[in-house]
Amino acid sequence: MQGAPGGGPGPGPSPVDRWMLVVFSFIMATALGQMNFTGDQVLRVLAKNEKQLSVLRDLDGLKPQKVDFWRSPAKPSLPVDMRVPFSELKDIKSYLESHGLAYSIMIKDIQVLLDKEREAMAKSRRLERSTSSFSYSSYHTLEEIYNWMDNFVTEYSDIVSKIQIGHSFENRSILVLKFSTGGSQRRAIWIDTGIHSREWITHATGIWMAKKIVSDYGKDRTLTNILNAMDIFMEIVTNPDGFAFTHSMNRLWRKNKSTRPGMFCIGVDLNRNWKSGFGGNGSNNNPCSETYRGPSPQSEPEVAAIVNFITTHGNVKALISIHSYSQMLMYPYGHSLEPVPNQEELYQLAKDAVKALYEVHGIEYIFGSISATLYVASGITVDWAYDSGIKYAFTFELRDTGRYGFLLPASQIVPTAQETWLALRTIMEHTLQHPY
Amino acid sequence: MPPRRQPPPASGPWGPRPAVLLLAPLLLLLALQGVAAAPVGAEGPEDSPGLQDAEFPSGLLQQAARAALHFFNFRAGSPSALRVLAAVLEGRATVNPKKGCQVDLVFTTDHYNPEVGEEHLGKCSARVFFRNQKPKPAINVTCTRLIEKNKRQEEDYLLYKHMKQLKTPLDVTSIPDSHGHIDPSLRPIWDLAFLGSSYVMWEKTTQSLHYYMAQISSVNQWKTNDDTIDFDYTVLLHEFSTQEIIPCRIHLVWYPGKPLKVKYHCQELQTPEEASGTEEGSAVAPTELNNF
Repeated sequence: MQGAPGGGPGPGPSPVDRWMLVVFSFIMATALGQMNFTGDQVLRVLAKNEKQLSVLRDLDGLKPQKVDFWRSPAKPSLPVDMRVPFSELKDIKSYLESHGLAYSIMIKDIQVLLDKEREAMAKSRRLERSTSSFSYSSYHTLEEIYNWMDNFVTEYSDIVSKIQIGHSFENRSILVLKFSTGGSQRRAIWIDTGIHSREWITHATGIWMAKKIVSDYGKDRTLTNILNAMDIFMEIVTNPDGFAFTHSMNRLWRKNKSTRPGMFCIGVDLNRNWKSGFGGNGSNNNPCSETYRGPSPQSEPEVAAIVNFITTHGNVKALISIHSYSQMLMYPYGHSLEPVPNQEELYQLAKDAVKALYEVHGIEYIFGSISATLYVASGITVDWAYDSGIKYAFTFELRDTGRYGFLLPASQIVPTAQETWLALRTIMEHTLQHPY
Repeated sequence: MPPRRQPPPASGPWGPRPAVLLLAPLLLLLALQGVAAAPVGAEGPEDSPGLQDAEFPSGLLQQAARAALHFFNFRAGSPSALRVLAAVLEGRATVNPKKGCQVDLVFTTDHYNPEVGEEHLGKCSARVFFRNQKPKPAINVTCTRLIEKNKRQEEDYLLYKHMKQLKTPLDVTSIPDSHGHIDPSLRPIWDLAFLGSSYVMWEKTTQSLHYYMAQISSVNQWKTNDDTIDFDYTVLLHEFSTQEIIPCRIHLVWYPGKPLKVKYHCQELQTPEEASGTEEGSAVAPTELNNF
């Protein structure tokens, strides 16, 4: 929550005082009909001893009322705050001065303050309905992200739409954003983030990039060219059940939340459940393992939804699956060391993308095939994509290299997203320029 | 000689390259378990040096560097002078299929807590011996001295004083929190915990498994007196390449300038049979006597 502005050092109403003021005025307004506080001031007085305190206490209870204590006289050295009606200001100030009581003016005109508060609250309610107040440099809950998506799609409805491609094991919607400037069944780029729920930086990066796409269309030539010819599909919360679980119970949960009768452990590693090299050494058939592959390829609804969507679409030309952490950009295969046919091209493209990334903030990525760069992993997304005919299949491992790992500080969200975007744009541009 | 596979990738931990990076002919340990899987059927000779790059487990030099650095950090016993791996400059491995794998290497290091403007790359040379996929590699490591010993002790002592001023019992659940935030006042705790975890991570590292410290999940006891800090905590280690999160209960005793004392107990991976009754983490006191 934002702190109240002007809550800096020196005299001035603290956020608590301001809030009390507003509450007070609302109560008063309802009780007495709208009251007007124009010209009323709040004075702060510091009594140095008991004698001075009693001088202040004498002001209390007078009829007609001369002051209204917000902080009553209690002890010397504790400030006394009192609201003085406009009509009484001259008298009260003389009274204080004649008794040697120093005072300062905390609020020069209460009504002005009240009006500002009312205005700010109305503004804030208006802002919530626009995506510009959503913080792109914070981590969010599933509800917040899904709400943001609705606002986002409404605000940029000329380019973005929302598609539901299925349901998760716990029956949450699986949602994809479609960025399109028209056409029908255009060549498309698929991006997914959050397939491993603990990798929070990936969802945050996806959200930032979504906003970047709509902001840059018409301004950035490369992106505009891409979107004028191709569509972009972005699935931000690829594992909604897991993600909800990282908020509620276990921040370091990786898998989905599926269970089967007789199984004591929960969850399948969604990045081992794809139908390419399924069941190899780079996955585990122990349900309690973090890399449990599941009972069969595509057994998991979260994976099946994507497979169905991409297969039915039939015109996806690039797939980028985003993970963290390790700072790597990689291409197939994960399940074997065998190089893919266009390995040389992918190597060069990865090299260019990593260079573009580096130029933003000086962050170094290594690149290569998954099995050679990271480790052997079987049944993974990009292997399936490649074997399904998607020539440009890449996987990112975002920041960092282990210092914070999954718990990457929110302050790194925007820098990470900025650099990742340039790498991604490099890949998308290459895809655009090399139709197949 | 079979053709060399393509050179390792350009940037990052492999360092500025290829002129400097030496991969001398390697004897290969066959039938590697787990991750670094050789293509099926590709068995090579056991006793002759051969260039079998296709089966070279990716990152063996990195593994060795990490293990060496964990050991170095533990032995230095200084939470204000922790180092991280920057790049491997050169390395050579020899494999004895019966005994294990010896790696000689040179690597650069960076400050764990990088300060603005500070550019001090340190350099280490190490000999690491992995015993056939068993943990606790034997390590011989020397690093260029970057910070003068007195200055280092001074910094440690400042940390120590800072830690003594923390209000106990410590009102923290996890460090960092879910959003990666560590309160600046608690940062020394993280560094000290990392120092203790270094001992654990050294012992657990093998040719194919390595670790990062993910989070301090609980502080069980934090006692400071005039000559020690007595710190009992549970840490979550992230294990590569299995992706497992391993809770470890660690108990350390530290005082600036004195060698670190560590006891620990890590939870084993659940199997389906054990899973049903097992509670998260062993609340049992550490049973493994380590270097106390």
